[in-house]
Amino acid sequence: MNTLIIFVLLLVLMLTGMPISISLGLTVLTFLFTLTQVPIESVALKLFTGIDKFEIMAIPFFILAGNFLTHGGVAKRMINFCTSMIGHWYGGMGLAGVMACALFAAISGSSVATVVAVGSIMLPAMVKQGYPKRFGAGVIATSGALGILFPPSINLVMYSIATAGMSVTGPSGQPVGSASVGQLFLAGIVPGLVLSFLLGVTTWFRAKKFDYPRMPRASWGERWRAFRESVWGLLLIVVVIGGIYSGVFTPTEAAAMAAVYAFFISVFVYKDLKLKDVPRSLKSAAAMSSMLLYIVTNAVLFSFLMTSEQIPQAMAAWMTSQGFGLVVFLLLVNVILLAAGNFMDPAAIVLIMAPILFPVAVKLGVDPVHFGILMAVNMEVGLCHPPVGLNLYVASGITKMGITELTVAVAPWLLTMIGFLIVVTYWPSLSLWLPHLLAR
Amino acid sequence: MFNRILDHLEEWLITFLIGAATLVIFLAVLHRFASTIPWIQDYTIKLDVSWAQELCIYMFVWMAKFGAAYGVRHGTHVGVDVLVRALPKDKAKYLVMFGLLAGALFTGIVGTLGARFVWDNGFHYALMHTLLGQDVGDLPEGPTTPDLEIHTWIVYSCVPLGSYLMCFRFLQVFWRFVRDGELPHHDHGHVEGVDPLDETEIIAHGPTAAAGQGAQR
Repeated sequence: MNTLIIFVLLLVLMLTGMPISISLGLTVLTFLFTLTQVPIESVALKLFTGIDKFEIMAIPFFILAGNFLTHGGVAKRMINFCTSMIGHWYGGMGLAGVMACALFAAISGSSVATVVAVGSIMLPAMVKQGYPKRFGAGVIATSGALGILFPPSINLVMYSIATAGMSVTGPSGQPVGSASVGQLFLAGIVPGLVLSFLLGVTTWFRAKKFDYPRMPRASWGERWRAFRESVWGLLLIVVVIGGIYSGVFTPTEAAAMAAVYAFFISVFVYKDLKLKDVPRSLKSAAAMSSMLLYIVTNAVLFSFLMTSEQIPQAMAAWMTSQGFGLVVFLLLVNVILLAAGNFMDPAAIVLIMAPILFPVAVKLGVDPVHFGILMAVNMEVGLCHPPVGLNLYVASGITKMGITELTVAVAPWLLTMIGFLIVVTYWPSLSLWLPHLLAR
Repeated sequence: MFNRILDHLEEWLITFLIGAATLVIFLAVLHRFASTIPWIQDYTIKLDVSWAQELCIYMFVWMAKFGAAYGVRHGTHVGVDVLVRALPKDKAKYLVMFGLLAGALFTGIVGTLGARFVWDNGFHYALMHTLLGQDVGDLPEGPTTPDLEIHTWIVYSCVPLGSYLMCFRFLQVFWRFVRDGELPHHDHGHVEGVDPLDETEIIAHGPTAAAGQGAQR
């Protein structure tokens, strides 16, 4: 009964269009004031202690780094490098777009930043080359979603935060630890590469079918020059991922280093960002991260309510008593997450749904790391379809195409992604192979 | 006038905090590296930077609270706007007004809870004892933080301050909406500082330019 009250209240409040963070907080307050004995004073403290963990601070750092990279000319040089390597194949610029998105995703933690950075340069260039607008928009809007699968990923950090410290038990009652940011980042690499490859294949077939223009093969001299220009940006992959896995940095420190490094190359090496524009970049990164941290704070309150009401445990018990197996549960998870993706921002979905679904998943024997990747791929799909697919809005901002037209444009790649989602869901080894290999 | 000062203060504060936090962690990591190099080691070892993480966390929590208030004024907070957009404008109006007032209510309650917490955890003592020099009886002095050893009530005061500011912002936005019917709107799809035309020109000078012209021929 209480469960029903909580969810209905949350849903009603959300539908009024108020910020998600406020509706989460108000639900918790209403419930605490009226239906429980939990001391209300603990709420004030939770608002502070909910986000006073060093792991969470990776989020503002990665956003800041992404902000510098977007305006700092890194993407431009990466695109030139990719175009010189594979531009002469069928749909060359489209393929280069996929590759550039994958590379940029590996240095920035957000899908939107990836679409902005690569799309704002690539899309006008593609139109100039004679590609139809919708082809370019379809490629970039979907490939940009790679941003939350490739490490570093803000979404995976969110998942790790949302599930950290939960005491959950596996199928036979043994305690299971939650997934660390490091493990999740590692697990995202192989699925990210596979998805990039699949998106590339889709692009190639479409380009071949409609005979889109190809570019002349670049000479090795040109390739070398493009590589040398982009090497500063590519080195960031080494700093972040290498730094974390060699044990030199914690993920948060790596994020801070990435921000400083991105600032340095944007302002002093590439000189595309003026020193006087730096405060504006700082301010917009601060505003964006505050918004996310505010959702985190209130989501922590919400999951505190969930735990104190034993809701995930009750759900897990119900699931097992109904005889639902793993297959049905995972299917259900995908449906719920895809449906939620129609209304909500990915960060909010992860923060609200992960604490609820995670204990059930673990109870049924799903690996915490695998579950994190599964959620990330779901969010990727949600980013690429209306009504709230943020990638589409960004692409629409750049191309001035309507959302309906864009929805048609992304369809081939979106179908590929949904196919990929099924593979990720039912083939855990795809995500778990690399972390297990390195753990040994 | 007061409003303009407040606006600037808010923006200046969050800009400073994110920049400073980045610098602090960067320096702490540098310090750790320097401490492994033989000659420099002797100097760096004397510096204690164990407080860096704690300071970074506090700066970001403060940034989050004031940034959230800034976000209300600029409409950065994401919400579910499916219903609001589906309804006719004169009906959606009431929904928006309800949402804004609910925001003010929530932040007001939280601010009050936070203020009470801060008061009981040392602010009362600090005010009476340190400032007014009165006998405080058995008022608690309140705990201090583990590394920086400052009073926790100072650190926690971001909850009442930030929440009350946010409450004020919600009321401000509400008032403007009632008066002019305008809402602050942050377009997450808007690409700031990137002009598409401009970028095509830049790419035209890059290594792909020659290739591009070749393909068009």
